[in-house]
Amino acid sequence: MPENTSTDLALEVRELSRTFGARKALSGVTFDVPKGAFLSIFGPNGAGKTTMLKILSTLGNPSSGTAKVLGYNVVDDSVELREHIGFISHNPLLYPDLTAEENLEFFAEIYCLENPKERIRELLTAVELDHRRLDLVSAFSRGMLQRLSIARALLHSPEIIFLDEPYSGLDPHAMDILDSLIAQVREQHTFVMVSHDLQKGLELCSHALILAKGKVVLFEERDNIDEAEFSALYRQTVGMGVS
Amino acid sequence: MSSWRQFAAILRKDIVMELRTKEMLTSMGLYAFLVLLIYYLAVSQANGGFNVGYIAAGLLWLAIVFTSLLGLNRSLVHEKDQGCLDALLLSPIDRPVIFFGKAVGNLLFLLIVEVLVVPMFYFLFLLKTGLVGPVWMLALALLVGSIGIAGMGTMLATMSVNTKGKDFILAVLFVPIMFPLLYAVVAASTAVVMGDAVFFGEWAKQYWQSLGLAAGYDSIMLLAAYGLYEFIIGA
Repeated sequence: MPENTSTDLALEVRELSRTFGARKALSGVTFDVPKGAFLSIFGPNGAGKTTMLKILSTLGNPSSGTAKVLGYNVVDDSVELREHIGFISHNPLLYPDLTAEENLEFFAEIYCLENPKERIRELLTAVELDHRRLDLVSAFSRGMLQRLSIARALLHSPEIIFLDEPYSGLDPHAMDILDSLIAQVREQHTFVMVSHDLQKGLELCSHALILAKGKVVLFEERDNIDEAEFSALYRQTVGMGVS
Repeated sequence: MSSWRQFAAILRKDIVMELRTKEMLTSMGLYAFLVLLIYYLAVSQANGGFNVGYIAAGLLWLAIVFTSLLGLNRSLVHEKDQGCLDALLLSPIDRPVIFFGKAVGNLLFLLIVEVLVVPMFYFLFLLKTGLVGPVWMLALALLVGSIGIAGMGTMLATMSVNTKGKDFILAVLFVPIMFPLLYAVVAASTAVVMGDAVFFGEWAKQYWQSLGLAAGYDSIMLLAAYGLYEFIIGA
């Protein structure tokens, strides 16, 4: 952990901005999220949600402003930070020509895990894919891919997990499994989820953030949110379009 | 984090995937055979009107270059598919380790194709005249050239994989950037085909000077790739 960090905060974002040419994808975004929280990020298409998620997970750099995740600066401490983050996307981030087990073995080596076999067996059992561990990922259904993707993201026991539209394309049964898996690990991790599903996002979150045109429209703790007002504000925001 | 362990994981993964699918080796091998066959048909129209030994090495390297372009693009497309490259970038791996893992894998596949293609090259172009110089000198020239092609090619393929016209962009970037290396290895290989002197004589001089140029190019460009890869892969 870097020196002089606020150990209670999972995210510290200060005036975060990102421009692509003339377009401002993010503009002056500022908020704090405590450890153990579940932040749901909402907003219309093009609001900057995925851009912000990419910056926080070190896949992209800000144009200005700062962001700290678990006390690590996302730019200066990116290599160290990556040891502590997991990422679940609507893309599975898995190699289709490898088996489920081989995929996890590969990422276990990339993360230099001790006793990877034990950890892999444990996770495959948790995501109910142990019986399919020797099957090629190319043969997996969408729901199975997402479950294996969760196993991949949890392999190195990250402290914070980013989810980019994880429920996208899942059938109700697969959604239930994903809910169950998140609930199993909810207490030990901080979550940041981007979602278009207002109901699901509010159901899971402890903090909610609405972005529109790259700016924060609302950032509030779940307990202080009235669902009807929030829903109305969100619909109004979606009508605002993109930056 | 152990860079060696991460490098080994990337290399092992690429080898396992290739052994399973045989996609790259099959396409590269068949492509190289086809290219050499067409060259042979073209040269045979001259009915022995010139010494084919002067151009044989150039034809071999043309086949290797075209074949490598095919393989280099495929190796990065595999990473781009399903977001696997993002998964690597999200992990605590130094970017140059990704570069070396991919480059060594590409070198390995290229060398395997060359092992299959060079005998065919000999059979088609050098059966009558034979290889005048020792085989090890040709092998060394092939190795030095392949290292440069695999290394710089991996970097250029990474640059082009995020663009719309990835195949086109790689080919356009490849030829001018690789030209000094290609000139050197063609000259070195021609010296082996035409000359029998290892250390003395004009052909030997051409060989060692050209090989030195190629090795120097490899060193400089691989160092540049090592330093720039972080910016290229993150772009």
